[in-house]
Amino acid sequence: MEQFKKKFLEEANDLINSLEDSLLILEEKPSEKMIIEEVFRVMHSLKGGSSMFGFDKMDAFTHELETVYDLIRNDSLQVSREVLDATLAAVDHLKVLLENGEELSPAEQKNHQLLLSRIHHIISKGESEQNDAGKPNKASELPDNTDSVGITRVYEQVPTYYITVRPHPEIFRNGTNPILLVDELHTLGHCKAYLKKSALPKFDDLDPELCHLAWEVFLATDKTIDDIKDVFIFVEDVCTVIIQKIADVNMLSKSLFVSAIDTFMQSEQATDMKNLEEFIAKTLNSDSSKEDDTIAIRADEAGPIKRLTISNIRVSSDKLDDLMNLVSELVTTQASLSLFAENQNNPELMSIAENIEKISRQLRDNTFEICLIPIETIIIRFKRLVRDLSNELNKEIQFVAEGTETELDKSIIDGLSEPLMHIFRNAIDHGIESADDRLARGKPRQGKIVLKSYYSGTNVYIQIKDDGKGIDVEKIRQKAIARGFISADANLSYKELLNLVFLPGFSTAAKITEVSGRGVGLDVVVKKISDIRGDVEIESQLGVGTTITIKLPLTLSIIDGLLVKIDKTHFVLPLASVDKCFELPLEKIRNAFNNKVVLDGKQVPLVNLRNEFDIHENTPKVQQIIQVNHDEVKVGLSVDIVLGEYQAVLKPLGRMFKDLEIVSGATILGDGTIALVLDPARIINTFDRETLNRREKLYRDLGSNKQQLVTLKELIQ
Amino acid sequence: MSETKTGGTLTSYLSFRLGEEMFSADVSKVLEILEMRPITKVPRSPSYMRGVINLRGSVLPVLDTRIKFGMAATEDTVDTCIVVLNVIMEGEPLTLGALVDSVEEVLELTEADIEAPPTIGSKFNPEYMHGMVKMDDSFIMVLNVDKVFSTDELVMVAETTEKALPESAEAQVK
Repeated sequence: MEQFKKKFLEEANDLINSLEDSLLILEEKPSEKMIIEEVFRVMHSLKGGSSMFGFDKMDAFTHELETVYDLIRNDSLQVSREVLDATLAAVDHLKVLLENGEELSPAEQKNHQLLLSRIHHIISKGESEQNDAGKPNKASELPDNTDSVGITRVYEQVPTYYITVRPHPEIFRNGTNPILLVDELHTLGHCKAYLKKSALPKFDDLDPELCHLAWEVFLATDKTIDDIKDVFIFVEDVCTVIIQKIADVNMLSKSLFVSAIDTFMQSEQATDMKNLEEFIAKTLNSDSSKEDDTIAIRADEAGPIKRLTISNIRVSSDKLDDLMNLVSELVTTQASLSLFAENQNNPELMSIAENIEKISRQLRDNTFEICLIPIETIIIRFKRLVRDLSNELNKEIQFVAEGTETELDKSIIDGLSEPLMHIFRNAIDHGIESADDRLARGKPRQGKIVLKSYYSGTNVYIQIKDDGKGIDVEKIRQKAIARGFISADANLSYKELLNLVFLPGFSTAAKITEVSGRGVGLDVVVKKISDIRGDVEIESQLGVGTTITIKLPLTLSIIDGLLVKIDKTHFVLPLASVDKCFELPLEKIRNAFNNKVVLDGKQVPLVNLRNEFDIHENTPKVQQIIQVNHDEVKVGLSVDIVLGEYQAVLKPLGRMFKDLEIVSGATILGDGTIALVLDPARIINTFDRETLNRREKLYRDLGSNKQQLVTLKELIQ
Repeated sequence: MSETKTGGTLTSYLSFRLGEEMFSADVSKVLEILEMRPITKVPRSPSYMRGVINLRGSVLPVLDTRIKFGMAATEDTVDTCIVVLNVIMEGEPLTLGALVDSVEEVLELTEADIEAPPTIGSKFNPEYMHGMVKMDDSFIMVLNVDKVFSTDELVMVAETTEKALPESAEAQVK
């Protein structure tokens, strides 16, 4: 039971998320029937699940919510701000209920009561309307008794379905009560069910743990066959359900038909479809042309529905992590096998090792893909954030998300939501102006925040763009001077000034609000993003808006790399950034003017890794130059030997090396030694910066007045 | 081990040598002792970071304890060992290796055996000492492992000890 409960919790979380999403769409398109149906459906599933697993409070709560959306469905109630606000608040409360189970703190209990009364208020409003408008035709349309309160609409012109529900004997084993399914059919429309107990054994032979009953149900409803199938969605494999459309009109409203099937069913003989059809045809005076729309839901039949359900499976993220670890270990072991095979000089072994290498590479790629999730999964909460905050701050903001199908590694997505939240809060609080301000400035009343994500090379970019007031660099300058970050006469470029906002302790909001600006600023964003090896860039134009761009690596765990060696240390360079390899005599490197060498007829800046890494032993006479490419900047890196391609399983270097930017991690080679994985982008940035610093220091030493620049560079670091 | 005279509970301490000095660490902090093996140097890391090694598939940072304690670096010998320690750094556990000149023995001590570290005239910052134990005319420093190896304070140990080094040379002469 515990395990089912856990599963329900997971599912309920997903349901609540999709509910939130649907509600937000509903807000934009309040009359969209499909969305209302969707909201209703989700609430219904939540209700069913919570009552099944003993979440009584949640059951009662969702029941009320369901009633609201039932009223909306029947046009007795309009989707209004009031309804949506109440529902969203209720959704938040549902999350609490899910998390804390049935035990609520006094404050939550109070909230519970408050929400319930809000919902009751809405319901009573809707119901009075329904009673005014709905009474007369309801009475005329309901032909007779059998049907309970659940019925909402029965028309003459709805098709009639004939449904055979034949639960498998072992259906009780997973806790399903088939009677509830038949009950649920009753809620769909005008319904008449007949119990079939022909399979019931003699009392002595009866096994009470098995189900021997079956039902035959006539249902007149405006729902589609798919809706009817949904009733049985959880019991597909323990229940045979055959749904047939027998007429295009409501046969149950024809008393002749009803009395006929009554006697027919009581005869206890197996229902013959042919007889039935003939009879219907007779009843309708042969005026209906029938469609044979027969669909069977059966577990052992690979029907179209079944295929649809297994196109997705739910796997816990722990299992995925395990899988990823195993693949990493396999890749490491494969590396030692390849090394061993190479040393054995046995062609047979070599070919096996090569095959394993190929397979493990494919396995690795597949596992990666499994671990990728679309960025959409974290977007919902931002939609919600924009909605709530803009209400709170009395701003009108439209949120647009583009490219939400862009996929990222699960671990990166996890690390992304906090900094994004921060950026959004900033944009809403400081970026977008109030509606009046906007009108005064000739902008549209409604502000706009766009989140755009896309792939570029081996990176994923996420852009958050607002059309708010932009950043006033003059203010930044004054503030930076006041805080002592820069000197009063410092001469900074526009971009340099903008970048100051990333410094710790820098917040430009004049007043501190609930939303943002508690002294923690964008520096936190930069830190969090760099924790997942990303970069943050900011662009802004006063009065036009601000754009923040986050650049992220596709994955964090295994990369294709080029294995190289300097003295005794192995290094791995990500293959994605490697352009070409060259060979140069040591002399040329030592004598390189201004640290530039000519590669392929072009001057390329050279980073002599031996110098930078402070390795001076055993320098070979010929150096290998790896030309790497980062953001269109080409740089040569000098190493001793190029060993070849290598699949590197990235392992973190740990907190002892957390300040080390240029190494993104370590990997274990086939022989058990460790190779360090270099990050070319950061090498270029770091050394670029250092060269600049050195040059500026030189200027300063020469008495030049470039001093301010130096202070800035130090500051930006 | 012998029953305690003072009646306190016995705690085991691993003692090791750095140059002429003896130190000890609570064995509950020691995961294992490894023989010296090739260590991959990590460029641009602090001088007291010797590098990283592969410890059964994970990357283990190795510190040169001599440099960290402000002593002169020496060549590794056959006795040089890597003591794998589990320390608490910023509230989270962290596994690291510490290079020592040699591992000596396991001492069983009661709290009463450990004397408070001297506050003045000591070459080591008392903040990093749990105390000291007198053993055959010499002292063994009982380290506060978590404190000594926490990053923020790494450099401070070196600074204090470096300053204190000349004094200690004098002290040794006596």
